[in-house]
Amino acid sequence: MQALWGERRRIGLWRRLWLALMQGEKDLGLAIPDAALAQLRAHLDDADLEKAAEYERRLRHDVMAHIHHLGDQAPAARPFIHLGATSAFVTDNADLVLMREAMQLLLGRIGAVLVALGKVARRYRALPCLAYTHFQPAQLTTVGKRMTLWMQDFALDAEELLNRITTLRFRGVKGTTGTQASFLELFDGDHAKVAELDIRVSRAMRFDHVLPITGQTYTRKLDGQVLAVLSGIAQSAAKFATDLRLLQHEGELLEPFESEQVGSSAMPYKRNPMRAERMTSLARFVIELEGNAWHTAAAQWLERTLDDSANRRLVIPEAFLAADAILVLATNVAAGLEVREETIGEHIATAMPYLATERLLMRGVKAGGDRQQLHEVIRAQSLQGSNDLLDRLAHTPEFKQLGVRARAAELDPAAYVGRAPEQVDEFLDRVLPDLMRSIQAAAPAAATAEVQV
Amino acid sequence: MTGGVLVQSKLPLPLLRRGKVREVYEVDENTLLLVASDRVSAFDVVMREAVPYKGAVLTQLSAFWFDRLKSVMPHHLLTAEAAEIVTRVPVLGPHRDELHGRAMLTRRATTVPFECVVRGYISGSAWAEYQQSGTLAGEPMPQGLVESAQLDPPIFSPATKAEQGHDENVTFDDVVNALGRLTAERLRGASLALYEAGRDYAAKRGIIIADTKFEFGTTPQGELIVIDEILTPDSSRFWPADRYQAGHGQPSFDKQPLRDYLAGVKKQGAWNGESPPPPLPPAVVNATSERYRDAYRRITGSELE
Repeated sequence: MQALWGERRRIGLWRRLWLALMQGEKDLGLAIPDAALAQLRAHLDDADLEKAAEYERRLRHDVMAHIHHLGDQAPAARPFIHLGATSAFVTDNADLVLMREAMQLLLGRIGAVLVALGKVARRYRALPCLAYTHFQPAQLTTVGKRMTLWMQDFALDAEELLNRITTLRFRGVKGTTGTQASFLELFDGDHAKVAELDIRVSRAMRFDHVLPITGQTYTRKLDGQVLAVLSGIAQSAAKFATDLRLLQHEGELLEPFESEQVGSSAMPYKRNPMRAERMTSLARFVIELEGNAWHTAAAQWLERTLDDSANRRLVIPEAFLAADAILVLATNVAAGLEVREETIGEHIATAMPYLATERLLMRGVKAGGDRQQLHEVIRAQSLQGSNDLLDRLAHTPEFKQLGVRARAAELDPAAYVGRAPEQVDEFLDRVLPDLMRSIQAAAPAAATAEVQV
Repeated sequence: MTGGVLVQSKLPLPLLRRGKVREVYEVDENTLLLVASDRVSAFDVVMREAVPYKGAVLTQLSAFWFDRLKSVMPHHLLTAEAAEIVTRVPVLGPHRDELHGRAMLTRRATTVPFECVVRGYISGSAWAEYQQSGTLAGEPMPQGLVESAQLDPPIFSPATKAEQGHDENVTFDDVVNALGRLTAERLRGASLALYEAGRDYAAKRGIIIADTKFEFGTTPQGELIVIDEILTPDSSRFWPADRYQAGHGQPSFDKQPLRDYLAGVKKQGAWNGESPPPPLPPAVVNATSERYRDAYRRITGSELE
């Protein structure tokens, strides 16, 4: 991801855009010598960034600096480089190429998160654990079911990414105010050729869809849409990381801890959920960046103003870099999750008597008891703790008289998880495989996530 | 453990199947009784001598895994306690000693017609396929794998169930075509999860589970469950972790004394490798028995009762 947003990659893209433009112009009839194209083609990846910077110090214009530097390297091409174009031709189109590739990278990363969480979900699909509402013990769920809460969020993000990747439109060849006037001039008023040039250059950069309408730039709404997806990923990751931090406090689920990792410089016994904490930290950053893109879209005047530029140069790469880091962390954490079955079991055991009282109440009423009266008995006894609760209840005059007491089967946690295991199956076997196939088709394989601590 | 060795059980119940090492009896329309004998096979030949405790190891190890992995998938085991079996099936009362440790009372399920093999290391027929075509279960594999190399992630490599001779390897798509995508995904996912959980657990106890074979069944309620035996030395390749070295075949954790002895006899020209097998000296039988019990001890952390 870092290489993608580096200067070298960007300039390589500018040069490819100039090549595609020159090739299109020649093919559609402009008198451009073969040598110009050959020399340009020979210098796609060897820009000397220092020399371009020297030009920029004099010219105070980055695109013109690179045009001059390229002209030095490919003298036969010099007279034809950037012909009819405005800076946004290279800057905007390159940004679109980069954003699309970056989204493909993120898609692969989400795929890796889903695979890692999916393994844990499958392994613990039916392992009962406490479910919490208001962060207070509620009913039971399963460890695997909880994994699917997180997975489904990431899966929704993946669908958004897929949608953005396939529908992202190219800015194309539009000229200074988006009217293509300079190109109409070059082609002697031949509208068909100008329209064709737009399509050919876009295709050469592997975009099937071109924005039909632009000002000088592509509408900054596109940035907002893309940043919204990144923000969505950050939201999913923050929810996952926060849940993990809560559960690590409970001792039920722990993020990986290397054998020599130090938790605290002062408290050697500590085991902090620092990766999850870092995820929430970065997520907040990405979520906040999104607002920049919407404000930039809102703040554009007429055919273009330059108050987008400096902001976009920071916001877009930083959002992608941070989202990438979040997903690398998420994969690392998910692949190394430590499920403490024993602690989970202990917590359930404490809560089971409370959970069993609901069935006791139902059976008590069926046996002729007064629901309101029995409810009060249970409430009063529950306040004294779960220890011996069921025994104590059985010995209250109210329940004793009805002959109702807890049955062993009513204390089996598996009877309280509802359809949680089946929901895990349905998600893993019915929903996820199609999505994973789409991800694999659209994204390069994500590298194994190793966190640089 | 009482009752001595058992070569072949004879119980007053209808016998449904007699496999290489176990008998399957019908208890009623919902229940089966599986009895693991102490028979042992090597190089595809069943030996005349029985290996003490082997049947109990297979049964009790399966019971251990069924319980440990029930959060991955429900299983068919009702009980592997002879006392409880006899209580539930009174006609078996006189056979209690014979059943001790080695018998499983199970739910009856319709068998899924595929062996669900998971390979975490490349060995056996998978190694042969890879050498021949560079594939595993029909899927292309990276170049340059050596024999016994670890496969990460493990590979789901299904096979058809052959009544006679060897099972035939098939592709995942074959399973999809036969059972539908949903069931195929479920079988693959469950097989991989069961294997990985077992592999990780055993690895900490000095045993590499190189590959294994699961069988699944469908209950009358339509529930998919894991049946037969699970993650035992007979359904899996167990390798001693401390002797693992990729690049050649690995010694077997359980059957190596037996294999070494038979290989020696073959080399001397005293056995052609086919049935009938040569007689086994007591030392070889006992060494093999000890290996089986050691596998049980390591994995469960307790002695076979």
